[in-house]
Amino acid sequence: MSSFISESVVPLRLPYDHKPLSEQFQVKWTPTLITLDADGKEHHRTVGFLPPEELIPSLLLGRAKLDFDLDDFESAIKILEKIVSDHSKSDSAPEAIYLLGVSRYKSTHEAKPLKDAYEKLQAEYPDSEWTKRAYPYRLL
Amino acid sequence: MGNSIKWETELNAALARAKSEQKPVLMDFFNPG
Repeated sequence: MSSFISESVVPLRLPYDHKPLSEQFQVKWTPTLITLDADGKEHHRTVGFLPPEELIPSLLLGRAKLDFDLDDFESAIKILEKIVSDHSKSDSAPEAIYLLGVSRYKSTHEAKPLKDAYEKLQAEYPDSEWTKRAYPYRLL
Repeated sequence: MGNSIKWETELNAALARAKSEQKPVLMDFFNPG
């Protein structure tokens, strides 16, 4: 776990009452983990304890969302595919499938990846909120 | 998280490293108790 963090992110640890950053980022509870890009812009946040099997996919999802937000869909797709293949039982997996469909759509302008995402979510994560969010894509 | 991680303690230093190493910053607000 430590090596994964050291290799994949720049770790920054701050007390919950740090001034001015706790107010700037509106931190209300701990632990709060926020993924920032090199300009300090937030892309992903979790609040509350995450066990190791959830932390790694959550950190990967943060990196993928950063790449997605910066329109680097190729990089986002690679990371999201890793979450789906290596961390399929994690809570991050359904969101990764959803975002993978959107990233593929944005990089190809074809609707099929969106429908594929819905069908995979419906089959494997029928109770996920991400399955509900993908529901309209069944009609594509 | 593990104590073997070398945590930055200043945002500007972390952002400078993020830029040079092309990595995201993971900002962890914690309660030192």
